[in-house]
Amino acid sequence: MTDATAHLARHLADLQTWDSEADDTLVCTAVVDETHDVRTFVFEPPEPRRFAYRPGQFLTFEFALPSGPVNRCYTISSSPLRPHTVAITVKRVPNGPVSNWLHDHCAPGTAVKAIGPMGEFSCLDDPAPKYLFLSGGSGITPLMAMSRAFADLGRPVDVVFVHAARTPGDIVFRAELDLIARRLPGFRVAHLPERAGGEAGWAGPLGRLSAEFLALVAPDFKERSVWCCGPEPFMNAARSLLGALGHDPRLYHQESFDFAKLASAEPEVAAEVLDAEAAEAAAVPTYDVTFTKLGQTVKVRADQFILAAARDQGVRLAASCTEGLCGTCKAKIVSGTVDMSHKGGIRKKEVDQGLFLPCCSKPKSDLVVDR
Amino acid sequence: MLDTTSVSPRALLARRKPGFSLEQAFYTSQEIFDLDLEAIFFRTWIYVGVEPDVPDEGDVMVVDIGRASVLILRDDDGEIRAFHNVCRHRGARIVHDEKSSVGKLVCKYHAWTYDLDGKLLRAEHMGADFDTSCHGLKPVHLKSVEGLLFICLADEAPADIDDLAEKMGPYLKPHAIRDTKVAHQVDLIELGNWKITMENNRECYHCAGNHPELTIPLFEYGFGFSPESMDETKAKEAHRYECMVDDLHGEWEGSGFPSKEIDHLDDRVTGFRTQRLPIDRAGESQTLDTKVASTKLLGELTEAKMGGLSFWTQPNSWHHFMSDHIVTFSVIPLSPDRTLLRTKWLVHKDAVEGVDYDLKRLTEVWIATNDQDGTLVGYQHSGVKSPAYEPGPYSPYTEGLVEKFVNWYCLRLADHLG
Repeated sequence: MTDATAHLARHLADLQTWDSEADDTLVCTAVVDETHDVRTFVFEPPEPRRFAYRPGQFLTFEFALPSGPVNRCYTISSSPLRPHTVAITVKRVPNGPVSNWLHDHCAPGTAVKAIGPMGEFSCLDDPAPKYLFLSGGSGITPLMAMSRAFADLGRPVDVVFVHAARTPGDIVFRAELDLIARRLPGFRVAHLPERAGGEAGWAGPLGRLSAEFLALVAPDFKERSVWCCGPEPFMNAARSLLGALGHDPRLYHQESFDFAKLASAEPEVAAEVLDAEAAEAAAVPTYDVTFTKLGQTVKVRADQFILAAARDQGVRLAASCTEGLCGTCKAKIVSGTVDMSHKGGIRKKEVDQGLFLPCCSKPKSDLVVDR
Repeated sequence: MLDTTSVSPRALLARRKPGFSLEQAFYTSQEIFDLDLEAIFFRTWIYVGVEPDVPDEGDVMVVDIGRASVLILRDDDGEIRAFHNVCRHRGARIVHDEKSSVGKLVCKYHAWTYDLDGKLLRAEHMGADFDTSCHGLKPVHLKSVEGLLFICLADEAPADIDDLAEKMGPYLKPHAIRDTKVAHQVDLIELGNWKITMENNRECYHCAGNHPELTIPLFEYGFGFSPESMDETKAKEAHRYECMVDDLHGEWEGSGFPSKEIDHLDDRVTGFRTQRLPIDRAGESQTLDTKVASTKLLGELTEAKMGGLSFWTQPNSWHHFMSDHIVTFSVIPLSPDRTLLRTKWLVHKDAVEGVDYDLKRLTEVWIATNDQDGTLVGYQHSGVKSPAYEPGPYSPYTEGLVEKFVNWYCLRLADHLG
């Protein structure tokens, strides 16, 4: 038997359900490119287990970033009817520490910690005869999990799946959604890119969610149970459009990582997340920053800009743009090191001479500044 | 003392006697000094420095000419630009040090922030309707002639700078000014009118009697002499020099180094003259032993004995380009009786002080010569102020270039006065 076959055989043995309280470790088994900046990461436990969850639920992960452990919630994008693995689908966010770490460092074999599943954004919790799924960007994941679950059962459904993206190239799961629509009776897909982008021959509609678009793809939208997930502005726009068109708000559901809701639903999990966040905050060191000419010393956390923290503590420092552009606050470091991200307000040559801009620098040690 | 202010500059110009020094008022009167700035220094191309004065992006040099202050800087694309050093808010001077490095140009007064292309980036508290695009720094014409920087403060700059650049390009190129660094700079304030400083530079009549160091490498005959006033030894020297010029020019021109004289000192607005002059003895450089001061030769030069390429521009510069270093001079008037002579010594940018060159050896000839010239300028100026002064005759043999300078000056002034 090959390794893959042996692995499959182990999964097909009589399996227990994965329990994050007994084992919170997951191991990455595959990484799939969905679009140019979206990837799916597939996980399984170290020992084969079955995952039990409602489509639309999420896991809270703890990723071991070089800077220390970081907690994040990601909705499961895979189908609960394929319970041997779970997948999350993540868009790379510019400067996002976690999404970039996942894209750059999470590979088959990488172990992560996870607790859950949890969350209440699932069509199972509010059954309806007809659905309108509204997804924007990477908010597609819970709706994809629901659609995949329907597809795995193969029985007719009545779902209109709308996915809004920047360009056709940004449509996540495009081919798979089209495939589901072809095979699953009653499942319809309407992709809605804002602009054609690199796909000049795009034949479908372009633009944003509008009354005209809804009339075209789901003229009976008022009868449909709406499930909406996407960036905050997308959900706000969808909700007010539907409200304005007379859609019954009781039939509207939107995903929310509102912590208060999580705390009331799953107090233990919430406590765990809070502990993790508190530990993360406590892990940020605080340094003494001394201004020699002013004769004042302030406490600055490693994640705070020195100028802002000093001003908060009553130290008046000359500054103008406060974003590393003008160089007005330029000062000399007598001792210590900083992490600076300026916008051209200082030259490398000056940095080499020990100068820095307090407005866009965070301390990396205790600091003495000639100011 | 004569009442010089009673005669108009126009009348003084009209009665100027060619071949003679100028009347007293040209050297001493505040009115004519002010006119010199307007007619000459704010209208023609002025030599102010070299590209290696601002070697890196963000480097800024300030040059003050009369009441004007000019920023010369290298922008983020490596381009050199010149702007008036005046904030568009309430007019404060923006940069105060002669040399500095900046990220952006920030006026200290109210932190108006300009990009290195002169665009106003930021002005706080000016309201939503304030249009930053109308308040960029005012540009100043700038022309780099193979790395020598000329600026012109006029709205419309004389176009013949392009012809100068074209003619001088082949002469200057081998010395690769852009690949040099400023090894040393001396600012000397001479106690005399700027035209006296220039006149002194444009002749070597005074060299034998005053410049023991300079006349080791430099032949005094390079600027003219009168054959009948020389004894047999001097005549032989002069003849040897003339043969040497012929031979070396043939040699240098043959190997691709233009050397022959070009003289447009007084027949155009942007006046200039050039000639590659032989160096005496070892023949390599203007040093006390006439050997190279820096062992790292400039540009692609492989031969040390390239003589000294001299380049003069009206109204305010002269330069000596040797195989190993360049000495460059700019003259800036400060008042009727005070003049800034700014001298820079350039060596190959990779030459290391103490290893490839010794700073004392590099600079000693011209430091001594400048001091001697400064004294002579002071002598002349104090004498010109005297009631006894009247214009004296230039030597037709050794002071032809002085006459050309004065003639050019008078033409420019007359042109300005209309």
